[in-house]
Amino acid sequence: MKRFLRIFVILLLFLSISLAQKLPYSTTINVLVWDDAHTKAVATLIPEFEKTTGIKVNFIALPTRSVLEKAAIGISLEKTDYDLVAVDEPFVPQFGDLLFSYNLWPEGKVFRKVSLNEIAEGAVKAAYWGGVARGLPINGNIYVFIYRKDLVEDPKNKEEFKKKYGYELKAPENFTQLRDFVEFFTNPPKMYGFGPFTVKAEGVTCEAIFMFSSFGTDVLKVSGDKVSLVLNKDKAVKAMDYYKELLKYAPPGKLSFGHSERIQAFNTGQIAIMFQWPALIPNHIDPKQSLVADKIGYILPPAGPERRAPVTGCWILGIPKAAKNKQAAAEFAYWWASKENAKKLVDAGMNPVRKEVLADPEIQAKRPWFAINLEAFKYGVSRPRFKAYARISEIIQVYWTKGISGEMTSKEAIDAMYNEILRVLREEGYAK
Amino acid sequence: MQNKLDFTDRSGGGISRHLFDNVIFLGPTLIFLFAILIYPLIYSLYVSFHDWKLVSTVPPKLIGFTNYINALKDPLFWNALRIQVTFILIAIPLELIIGLLVALLFQVEFFGNRIMRTLLLIPFFVLPSLSGLMWRFMLQPRYGLIGNIYYLLNMEPVDWLSNPRLTFLAVILQDIWRTWPFMFITLYAALSNFPKELKESAEIDGANKIQVFLKIILPLLTPAIVVACFLRLIDALRIFSEVYVMTEGGPGHATTFLSIYIYKNAFRFFNIGYANSMGYMLTIIALLISFYALSKIYKEELS
Repeated sequence: MKRFLRIFVILLLFLSISLAQKLPYSTTINVLVWDDAHTKAVATLIPEFEKTTGIKVNFIALPTRSVLEKAAIGISLEKTDYDLVAVDEPFVPQFGDLLFSYNLWPEGKVFRKVSLNEIAEGAVKAAYWGGVARGLPINGNIYVFIYRKDLVEDPKNKEEFKKKYGYELKAPENFTQLRDFVEFFTNPPKMYGFGPFTVKAEGVTCEAIFMFSSFGTDVLKVSGDKVSLVLNKDKAVKAMDYYKELLKYAPPGKLSFGHSERIQAFNTGQIAIMFQWPALIPNHIDPKQSLVADKIGYILPPAGPERRAPVTGCWILGIPKAAKNKQAAAEFAYWWASKENAKKLVDAGMNPVRKEVLADPEIQAKRPWFAINLEAFKYGVSRPRFKAYARISEIIQVYWTKGISGEMTSKEAIDAMYNEILRVLREEGYAK
Repeated sequence: MQNKLDFTDRSGGGISRHLFDNVIFLGPTLIFLFAILIYPLIYSLYVSFHDWKLVSTVPPKLIGFTNYINALKDPLFWNALRIQVTFILIAIPLELIIGLLVALLFQVEFFGNRIMRTLLLIPFFVLPSLSGLMWRFMLQPRYGLIGNIYYLLNMEPVDWLSNPRLTFLAVILQDIWRTWPFMFITLYAALSNFPKELKESAEIDGANKIQVFLKIILPLLTPAIVVACFLRLIDALRIFSEVYVMTEGGPGHATTFLSIYIYKNAFRFFNIGYANSMGYMLTIIALLISFYALSKIYKEELS
């Protein structure tokens, strides 16, 4: 018996050693990412990746702002706490110099290096800074509008709408139709037309940029190291006035609406239309969370007087220059973005960035907004991309909210926003 | 001299042996203290004299007092300081008044006194961030508790957190709700230790309740009030997480307290040198107040 046991243990050891030898890696990587449905989906499949490659992954998922803080503290040119880090699009210029250029990333031993041609163009743009891709785009977030399809298809609503506005009721294609749409469906205290984003956060900057761009003005023009203030005040005032008009048809508490308030209000059937990040749409289609899960339609953001301007909010995966496990980190990123993995991850809640996945009819049948998501990238508008972005974003948030809340007139708010941005550009050495 | 002799005798090996013992016993504590308190303080002071960006390939540059001078010129710094001071001047006196009144009330024995006393302490044990979040949801006009009260009264709900003044007021109310039990329990403990004879003899001498309170209780309570206010003051100067989750410093800059402004400069604008200089200025303010308050307490004690 003893002899048999001894032989068995030796065989087992031999087997495990030979199996371990077959795995291409035997290392651990630290990965810092944001926390939402997408990364939760990735986390569920990590054991599979570890089994295939021999790479152990410390997957650290934190709220968006904490990711930024941790990355800022943990990454420098000399040392890094992370081998792979997710960077939100507007912060790519700030972190760019600390990240290893994507064209220098090694080929994978297990998973094929992802060509940037396979990624939606708008998302690829998010990865570039100074003419170099600083990482692999991984999250194709861009403004998509969600609306109550059931209300639009209701014959009674169709008839009343036509009588009131003189044209057919449909999902709005432009700002004029959007205004009529939100007005028509507003019926307090149970139903409101529009779901804004107004709580002081990055979402406010996105709303402001969406409006400004739709009315034909950018805030800054960045070319190389040159940054100039190009905000057209007249257009910006019109944009703000239009947003204030939409706010008339928003629910109580409309000036303190963040992600949680918007999701809750839409899911309880109180809002007819609003923008949403694709990564958050799974919250609306889950019948456990949403009373309107099967009543939602998806459209491109309505076009403004000057253009259609869906705002992008992509994340990239970057390898810090100081990372010791670059090869293993790249392997993990390739696995995450691989076509083979995409279907599984999409089922688990991921918002993909690969064109072929977004365009796959089988996947689109389950995730109908993917088609709009892909289409929206053709019009994508990004937030000002330069190193002092955070300071500019703060100013936009402050004066946009002051303007839309009526604390200042639109003109006063835009003037103040303009002057403050100019002051910051001077302080940062971009303007005289 | 006597001390010196005792000292030599006790150690049995002279001064050097005594020093050796001190190093052995105090050394680890001193090293620990240096590592977690002194070193970070010195390091942050060092950082405050530099143009130091967190995410940068450019090495930090020594710029002397420039960060401090810039802070003094920064209107947002002064705005944050103004907000902080206004908050302290409103919140702490109100907490004191409520705490004192309830402490006096609980001097009277009544049924359920002990249980009530314990229950009243609950808000003080709520985490600041949780308290901020709770108040944020309570004030939500559509589905918050306070919003629903408006509905019950057939009134249009007020969106507290979108109005700068109301938001500031909401932050104060949240702070009072969470921390008045601290004032209460401190003053209650002090009141419970008072010699009853003083009060009784004053009453025999014909003093009414107000006179007893003003002439007997209040003077005796002053050291406890000063200590409680002093501790609350230090706490109020560091207020951060509850405001951050409740308002993120908004709307506009309405609730951008100094701690939030420092945080933003450090972790949103990555200007760690500037943030440290403001942190030091806040520390100096806190130290000056502490010094004043402590000297006042000692004076009172001595007199």
